[in-house]
Parts: sequence; C-alpha cells; structure tokens
Amino acid sequence: MPTLTTTDRGLDKGLPGRISTHKSGGRDLWTGPLKELPADRTKAIWAALDEVLDPELPISLVELGLIYDVELIDEIARVQVTFTSTACPCIEFIRDDLIDRLEIEPWINKVEIIEVWDPPWTTERVTSAGRAKLGQLGVGV
Amino acid sequence: MKALLDIQNLDGPGVAALRRLILTLADSKRMMGIRYSDWLLGAPSIEAGIAISSMAQDEWGHARLLYAMLKDVDVEPLAIEHERPAEEYTSVGALDSAFEHWAGIVAAMTVVDEALSVALLGFSRGRYEAARTRVPKMLAEEEFHASLAKAWYRRIAGSSSEARGLLRDSTKELLPPVLAWLGADDAAAKVMVVEGVTDSSQSMTEVYRARLRDLTALVEVDINQAQPDGGWDEDRARGPGWPDEDAIERARGDRNRALLVE
Repeated sequence: MPTLTTTDRGLDKGLPGRISTHKSGGRDLWTGPLKELPADRTKAIWAALDEVLDPELPISLVELGLIYDVELIDEIARVQVTFTSTACPCIEFIRDDLIDRLEIEPWINKVEIIEVWDPPWTTERVTSAGRAKLGQLGVGV
Repeated sequence: MKALLDIQNLDGPGVAALRRLILTLADSKRMMGIRYSDWLLGAPSIEAGIAISSMAQDEWGHARLLYAMLKDVDVEPLAIEHERPAEEYTSVGALDSAFEHWAGIVAAMTVVDEALSVALLGFSRGRYEAARTRVPKMLAEEEFHASLAKAWYRRIAGSSSEARGLLRDSTKELLPPVLAWLGADDAAAKVMVVEGVTDSSQSMTEVYRARLRDLTALVEVDINQAQPDGGWDEDRARGPGWPDEDAIERARGDRNRALLVE
C-alpha cells in the first residue's frame, strides 16, 4: 500500500474561509483507509472519489460530474473519468489523485483510469451539491 | 446508427487510409494550435490574446486525442508526435507558414479551422468508434472558435478598406489549399467513404462552402468560385511543401526534449 505523506508548508494559511486546502486533490482532507471492509464496495469507491477535489475548483470530481462510472472486479477498480476540456492542463494531476486516493484502501489492489469523452462534459453534469458549493464561492454554473 | 467499424476486417489499403485520415487531422490540429500560439502576445487586445491562447490549447488537446487514435492502426503516437521531420507532416498546407498580420490569423480561424471542423464532423458520424466518442467534445469546443472567428471576421470586414483588403487577400490565399485538403477524392479518401468512416469529400465541401458563403461575401470573395490547389500528394494527404522548421521544432518540443516525461 502506498504511503500517504502530506507536508504542511503553511500553504493553506490565508485561504478564503470556504477553501480548506491547497494540497493536490485535497489530500489532507482524505479519510481512510476504511476500518472495515465495506459491504457495498462500489458505493465505497464513489464515496472515496467524492473526497478527491478538482485541482482548480474546491469541489470534488464527483460533484463536478467528471466521474462517469466505477466498477470493482477482482480487487481492480476501474474508474471512467472525463475532463472539462480536451486540453485540460490538470489531466495528470487528476489521474494521480484518483489513483492515490483509491490505493489507500487495502481491498483495492489496482486502479485503472479509463479516459472517456462520451457524452461530452458540460456544466449540466455538475451535481446539485457541487452547484451549491460553487454558488457560495460566487461561481455560477 | 451504422454498425461500428471492426478494424480487424479492414484490408491493407483500408488500414493505411484510416491511418492517413487520423494523421492528417491530428497534424492539422497541431499546426492550427501552433498558428494560434504565434499570436499569444501579438493580438490587438488582451482579451483577443487570451481567447487565442485558449484556442491554441484546445487545438493541442484535439491533436492529443487524435494522435492517440493511431494506436488502433498499430502506430506509436509518441514517435509520431516528437520525432518526425517537417517533410513528413500531413497538415493542411494553409498552415505551413506564420501569418504576418492579425487579419491573416482571423482568416485562418475562419477558413481553416472551419474546414477542420467540417472534416471532424464527417469523421464523428462514421463507423469508427473512437471518432464517434471523442470528436463530439472537440466539436463542442470548436463552437467557441467559430463564434470568435465570425465576430472578428465581421469586425475587420466592416472596418477600413485597408483592413478589409488584408482579410480579402488572406481569405483568397487560404481557400485553395483548404479546398484541396477537404475535397481530396483520391483512392484513400474513397476507401474511407466506402467503409463508412467519414463523409464524402463532395458533401463535406458543400457543407463547408455553405457555412462560409455569407461571411466571405463580406470581403467580396465568392466561395463558390474558389478552386482547390493542384499538386495533391496522395501519399502525404496534402499539397506541395511542408510546415516551416521553426513551427515543427515547437510542435515536436525540441527545446524541452530533455523534459519529455510521457
């Protein structure tokens, strides 16, 4: 299992009240590993992914509507993810954050990220929870 | 909806034609991005510079997704993207050189980028699954390019006679190589139509002319009268010549080659 290391260099000091972290994917806010094996592992994967923040907006990738599907077969988690644009400069950060979060869980042996573009992402895919958070930040979608 | 293409069932010429189609689209997208990037610091307003920066980024994103499709036809994209000489690029000839003035790049974002979108539209409606699933996102992003292009084209066309003249000359210069590229009807192009991978060159050209007819008329260019360049090179899927070396060095990432981490 990978070791999760976070270094507090004071980067989060002075952030606006509603923004809690600068760390890639919101790593300092991640929970887990789960203390017990989850009964519904697919649901647990969704919950774990809901902790991973977008690199540019302080809402999760799930709330942003970027996660299209997840499945767990033989301890291999497969995550279908899209991006807001074809030239998203954060693609590699997002991939790493997704993998690192899921690999914390001992019941996941491997993570496969599958990049998908169908259907194309639009702001319509932002969840109501995501909209509410963005609204608090003054971002309308 | 047409049944998906099974690449295993394509014969040698069929695979070569698909490879050529993917490559010319990818190379053209990459060069479109290069030409937009030429103007990051030279646009007439900071807003226009930001817009063209975003468009350059989009084009490179499209190129990235298109180059990745080459894996389906047993070509390694990494070498294609970072190691080819200029002579092997199959991009549309209209993008071979930098544009000397803002009217030139506005003409290109109208005349060239629209042709790329029409070609991608045909590709997205075909039987090749990767195109069906990836190209619609590109086309959605291209709607913003077309919107900006039309706004600037109209703005320049309605300004001074000198500016309108520059736009007219650029439009006239770009149309022949673009029409040759979009309207190519050689053996490989026909194979792709027969296999249901893309639309016919004739139908794409008609769509293209219809989309731009009113716009080019603003600078007294009748797009129906414009004719394609000669000298089509079937092997390279483009007309004569190749992109300038400076652009290719940037496209390949020569300066930062030591930092390549893909």
